[in-house]
This record gives sequence, structure tokens and C-alpha cells, in this order.
Amino acid sequence: MDIIPQLVANSIIAGAFYALIALGFNLIYGTTKFFNLTHGVIAAIGGYTVFFLTTTFGWNIYASAVVGVFVAGLVGYLLEKSLYKQLRKRKASQMVFLVASLGAFTALQAVIAIIFSSQFQTLSIGSWDLQTFNIFGGIITVVQLVTLVSAIVIMIVLGIVMRWTMFGKAVEAISDEEEVAKVVGIHTNKIIGRVFFIGSAIAGLAGILIGLDTGLEPTMGMGLLLKGVIASIIGGIGNVYGGVLGAFLLGFIENFGIWKISGEWKDAIAFGVLIIFLLFRPQGILRK
Amino acid sequence: MPILQTKKLTKKFGGISALNNLSIEFEAGKITGVIGPNGSGKSTLVNVLTGLLPITSGRIIIADSTSLKKIAAHEMPSFGITRTFQEVRLLEQMTVLDNILVVITKRNVIGALFEKHKTHYLKIAENVLERLGLWAKRGELAVNLSYGQRKLLEIARVLAMTEAESTDVKIFFFDEPFAGLFPEMVKLVVSVMKDLKQKGKTLVLIEHNMDLIRELSDKVIVMDSGELLAEGLPEEVLSRRDVIEAYLGE
Repeated sequence: MDIIPQLVANSIIAGAFYALIALGFNLIYGTTKFFNLTHGVIAAIGGYTVFFLTTTFGWNIYASAVVGVFVAGLVGYLLEKSLYKQLRKRKASQMVFLVASLGAFTALQAVIAIIFSSQFQTLSIGSWDLQTFNIFGGIITVVQLVTLVSAIVIMIVLGIVMRWTMFGKAVEAISDEEEVAKVVGIHTNKIIGRVFFIGSAIAGLAGILIGLDTGLEPTMGMGLLLKGVIASIIGGIGNVYGGVLGAFLLGFIENFGIWKISGEWKDAIAFGVLIIFLLFRPQGILRK
Repeated sequence: MPILQTKKLTKKFGGISALNNLSIEFEAGKITGVIGPNGSGKSTLVNVLTGLLPITSGRIIIADSTSLKKIAAHEMPSFGITRTFQEVRLLEQMTVLDNILVVITKRNVIGALFEKHKTHYLKIAENVLERLGLWAKRGELAVNLSYGQRKLLEIARVLAMTEAESTDVKIFFFDEPFAGLFPEMVKLVVSVMKDLKQKGKTLVLIEHNMDLIRELSDKVIVMDSGELLAEGLPEEVLSRRDVIEAYLGE
């Protein structure tokens, strides 16, 4: 029974990482209604920016992290302006958006591999790397604690912004009926650009924290994206709180699912849950 | 004096011209009725003039000073132009109240982030919704309203734009606003339009009901196959043989 506190801690930690990916993904999906596959590679860009700044210029990790988050947001913003906005202008189908974002994902992933090689890389916060906390018998590291706090704080802030500000109302209006939003004077492209920046910056933060927790590799994006998507679908696609709920639920299902069996079953369990939800509750636990 | 003009306005879909070298004028402070058979280009004209469809060629002149060859839809309120849609289009997953508040509340970067629904915005929304008999429905999602209520909410939305601080709407396009409304609702919308005219606003009314066109319009424009067929006073235009033939296909 001693393993249970650690399983709970592992579940919460995994959930926090998935939540960070799901928060940005859901924000962008909720506004634009397309599966932005580049979201995963944006997380990797955040992590590799920090790796580049710390190893090449010797920057400290905190300043590098701030720049990493900004660069991830900026790449997301530029992708929106140079690719997705142009596709919207041409009234492209959802399939075209999906294929275009897959193309951008693959290209960016290849660029990361070319610049940084395909080798596994690690990020470090110095002596804090070894610091751990014992919470009810479960051990968690500083980075994992920061991840959990970040996920909760970002969820609350996003929830407040979406519910109480006119920016949130404008996002909701675009999500509902983009042409009506335009007709009442909302500069939809500007708002969508900001949504991409914010969503991508959150993904960048996730990538940095994952780099600190388990390390970086150029192909890390797809796995992260898929877990974020599963979390979003389980919790309620396009719903800020739903994505976070789905993320923690997925974390618990994965970790308790492998309690008595090999850890290699983790992905099979996650995708099994996805299929069950798609078959029996495709709208997720919380509707948008 | 014209407040809005089109000069040789053309809109093509592939090889087909929905608007063909159309040069028309809308007088300030008047109601202009736009009629024509289905497919004559009336809704395309509104979509082009409100920036939802790009112009193929020609230009639009607003208030004798602004000449546009390209329009972005979100800029039209800042040019003082708003519209309703032939098929009602609302922010379906938002409440009736939010459908109005999103129109009238500030939207600059800082203002948009920190602006709350201050009392005066709520007062404006209340006045507008009361006027259209929708205040009691303010908490309901737009998607749950009846067809007539949805039409009225769309009219409330354009009415609210006259109250918004960020826009000074002078020109209203109403695309078949009476279609499917009960007689009482028709009376209500007619009175809203007459009030707007009394306040000096310019209205463009696309409508198939000729009694309402006669009652409301100061001038009528008849379109056929994307071209101007006739224009003038309602009684004169509506009694012209070529107009009757085009409209009734006789």
C-alpha cells in the first residue's frame, strides 16, 4: 500500500503537465475550431530556446525561461499570421487546416533536429534539481511543484479573463460566429493572433518545465500534443476547465492503470480511454 | 445628399457577375428600399458593402469623402455602417444580454482586458432590450429563443450599436427584417425603423413585402441580374411595367 501516495503524486504531476498543454490547445481550438497540431512542437521550441540560451550564452535559467515562453508565443503568433490567417481568408476546409498544421509541425520538428541534433538534452535549475518534497508520503521535485502551481494559476487566470473581460467575450463571440463578431466591430484577426500568442506561450512554458523534469528531444511534441488532445476531449473540447479536468483524470487513469502491469501499457490505456469517450461521450465531461 | 455611393461596383463569383457595374446612391437620413427577384444581387450588395465579400472592381464612397476599393468587415462600424442578416445570425452560445454587451463595451487593448460591465452599459442594454421586448429573456442563451425573438435580438444588436461609444453608426442595412415575424412584431420593427429615421439615420431596407416598402421607403431601388433596373419614388417605381415584369417574371 506504500506505493499509493507516490501513484497519487505521479498522477497529479502527469495531470499538471497535460493540463498545461491542454490549456493552450483548448484556448486556440475553442476560438478557431481547428486542431492545431503545431501546438506540440511549440512546446519543444520553448524548451529548446532555454537550452540554447543557457548552453550557448550562459544565461541563467530564469531569464532564459522568460525568453523561451516569449519565443514560443511569438512562433505561434507568426504561424497564425503567415499560415492560418491566409487559409481562413481562402475559406479553407478543416482538412486543409489539419494538413497544413501537420506540415508546419513536421517542418519545425525537423528544424529543431537539424539545429540541436536528435540527441536527448537536459535542462537544469542547479542545486534545486535535487530538492524534493514529501507530501503525504509521495515525493515530488521542485520542477513538478512549479508545474502544478503553474497549471492551477494559469487555469484560474484564463478562466477569469474568459469570463469577466471583454477580451474573453470577444474570443467567445469569434468562437460562436466569426462573421457576426466582425460585423459588430471586433477585429477578429487581431484577437485570434493574441489567442495564438497566449496559447503558444503556455505550451512553451510546458515544454520548458518538461525539459527540466525529464529532458528534451525534437520529437517530444507529438506525444505531448496527443496527451493534451486526449485530456481536452475527455474533459470537454474548447472548455478551459474541461481540459484541466481531463488532464488530471488522464494522469490518474494512466498511473493507476499501470499499478499492477508494465509501464509500457500507459499509452495504450490513454488511447483506450480516448476511444471510449469518443464512442460514448464525444462532447467530454464538461460541454463547452 | 448621398451618404453612401457605389461606383461601377462589380462582384464576380467565378465567371458569374452577381453585381455588374452597379452605380447607386443612398440618401442621408432617408429609408431606401431595395427590391428585386431572388438572385438579383440584393444580399450580395449588402455583403459587399459591409465587407463580408471582397469587391471585384469598382469602389464605394462613404459620406463623399472616404473612397474604398477594399473593405474589412470589422472596420465597417467605424465607418458608421451596420447590418442584419437575411438568415438571423447571433452569437448563439451567449446570453441575450451578452449579445448586446459585446457590441457596446469598449474594445481597445487595455479597456478590453479590464473593462467591466459598468452600470451605464447595463442601462443601455436594458433600454435596447426593453424596446424590443426582450429584457425578460436577458439571461437565456440566444440559441434557445424563438424565431421571432431571434429576429428581434438581431435588430436590438444593431440598435445597440447606435449607443456604443466606440462607433457612431449612421447607416443601417436591414436584410429582410420582417420575414417570418408575427404582425405585432412587424409593427414593433416598423416603429424602430421610423424612430431611427427620425434621429437622422440612413436605412437600407431589403424586403419582398411591397406594402411595407411603400409604407417605409422614401426611395426604391430595383435590382435585376446584378444591375440597376429602376430607381425613384416608391409609387412611380412600383407601377412601372418593366419592374413588374422583372419581379413577377411576366
